[in-house]
Amino acid sequence: MKKIGLFCVLFALMLIGHSCIEEQDFGQYDDLSVIPKFESSIIYIEATEEVINLAPNTTFYSQEFDFNPFSESVFADRVVDGVITYELENTTSKDLDIKLEFLDESGVILDTEIFSPIYKAPSAVLKREVVYGNTGESLDIIINTSKIRVTANNLSDNSSVSTQPEPLIVLKSSGKFSVRVK
Amino acid sequence: MHNILLILVLGVCNFVLSQNKQILYDFSEIPQSLMVNPGTEADFQWYSGVPMLSGTSFQAGSSGISVNDLFANDGLDINDKFRDRVINGMSPKDDLSGNYQIELINAGYRGKNTDNFYSFGIYNEGDAIGYWFQDYALLGYEGNADKLNKRFDLGDLKTRGEILNVFHFGVSKKIDNKLTLGLRGKLYSGILDFTSTKNKGYFVTNEGQNNVLANTINADMELRSSGFVVFDAVNKKGGSTGDIIKRGFFGGDLGLGLDFGFTYHLNEQTVVTASILDLGFIYHSTDVLNYALKGSATVEGVEIILPDAINNGDTDFWQDLIDEVEELVPFEENNKNYITFRPTKLYGSLRYNFGEKIESKGSLDCNCNVSGGNSYRAKYANSIGGQLYVINRPRGPQAALSAFYLRRLGNVMAIKAAYTIDKYSFTNLGVGLSMQVGPVNLYFMADNLLAYQNVAASNYASFQLGINIISWGKK
Repeated sequence: MKKIGLFCVLFALMLIGHSCIEEQDFGQYDDLSVIPKFESSIIYIEATEEVINLAPNTTFYSQEFDFNPFSESVFADRVVDGVITYELENTTSKDLDIKLEFLDESGVILDTEIFSPIYKAPSAVLKREVVYGNTGESLDIIINTSKIRVTANNLSDNSSVSTQPEPLIVLKSSGKFSVRVK
Repeated sequence: MHNILLILVLGVCNFVLSQNKQILYDFSEIPQSLMVNPGTEADFQWYSGVPMLSGTSFQAGSSGISVNDLFANDGLDINDKFRDRVINGMSPKDDLSGNYQIELINAGYRGKNTDNFYSFGIYNEGDAIGYWFQDYALLGYEGNADKLNKRFDLGDLKTRGEILNVFHFGVSKKIDNKLTLGLRGKLYSGILDFTSTKNKGYFVTNEGQNNVLANTINADMELRSSGFVVFDAVNKKGGSTGDIIKRGFFGGDLGLGLDFGFTYHLNEQTVVTASILDLGFIYHSTDVLNYALKGSATVEGVEIILPDAINNGDTDFWQDLIDEVEELVPFEENNKNYITFRPTKLYGSLRYNFGEKIESKGSLDCNCNVSGGNSYRAKYANSIGGQLYVINRPRGPQAALSAFYLRRLGNVMAIKAAYTIDKYSFTNLGVGLSMQVGPVNLYFMADNLLAYQNVAASNYASFQLGINIISWGKK
């Protein structure tokens, strides 16, 4: 039995004495790449036919407003590429156009997205994807955008009446962007 | 710098542990065994630990990955390893934890009634556990794109930790030849604490009602802490380390706790023991700083609804959106006092003694002849048995099962070897050694010895060591 005890001690000492570590390459950390992709809605615009009728053959809405999420450093410093998707559905009796202008902090226009003409109902939903980064539009447009200007024009008169129950012009948009975390 | 940070993070992740002291438990040659079972049969007249050196223990383990899993020089792409072994390979039940104890003072003496043995002391303890925050990691690694209706569980953030001093006084009482009962009272003096264990909520992306997508956050989260204010002040040179020390000596959070234990001889050679430790709480009332995030909000981007937007021409749509979310899901700080319960531990064992009997070392005549009145308490050269260990953790009890063999070489040396199975390792072999050189008792214990073949691949490590002076009285 004494031999067993001594063996235990020697075994433990041997293990501890011979503890070792296989070769590790911590430099691999530099090769680690973490680029998640996030998506969210961006802007939603909705106007009734009554509003459009207030301005026949001219602009019925124009507004410039701050829009900072793209220029926040947590996004701007890390964005790799992305795409903005627009969907327009017109159930009014008017032909319309909508212009989105992306402006920097000092009001300089960086890019313009024009949807024209948006045909009166019945018309198909208009979809457009704008790619940024890689072979698409410059990412600088996105990361320098601090304001957006929306301009909507009525290309028709103010007398036509839609047959739809709740005639609207609706612009939906969402963005999907890859962001380098590591 | 990045490398250093990574090594630190993975080091912490790699060393997760369970506080199990399965080798020390029921190792009655070592006075510190009274700390894991106050009902241990102590045959000392008195003992005194060497201050600061009488008992040091460190345990760490990881039920998830090891350093080797990621950084082995194996020719595999780190991105594949990270995705397969970290993001997809771990679950919210995997934890990362650590524990240490350093005895500042530990001593014991036999009372006038020799059936009673008293022990007391002070030790410093640190303990922390963090469960793998899987859905947070998944969101950070893959994002929410193309994951419509996937709920990212905010409850995956579950962590707690503390540093405290424990002042204790215990008594081990021999009831009769078969039974020894033990009780230890504890005063906790909390130095540092953080706890975030009851988080609920989710983040989800659905099809929007108006716009293309709707992002919803529903959160009921809280991080409670105490003592960090003092550490922060010391870091910023606005405080002294004395302020931290003061917190450890009743200048901070206070709490109470109890340990219970017993040893019972089923027959002359078979012994059953059990103990429950740290049945107690700490009331955090000093330097408290809590953070809370509670509420629900759904966002579908900036919404311009005409004609309302025409009537409010100067509307700052983006800022309004931010303000609305902050109002619906406010991030708040408060200083409300709170209570934490200590991680309660439960031990149990069944031991069978055999072989030659060991002569009693001191004046406490055990009258160890087979026919003698105290023959139940005789020490044998060999013991074999099994032990159970359970600790209460934020995601429920964690258990470990051990089989052990203890060998006594006279009164000079005792060796205990244990095989333990738990969530960290199925190959945990540990050995403990207690040596008696005159009045000086030295002990050393180490766990998971097979892992020393490649320390980087280890998921668990622990050691305990200490020096005591022991007297058995005059024969």
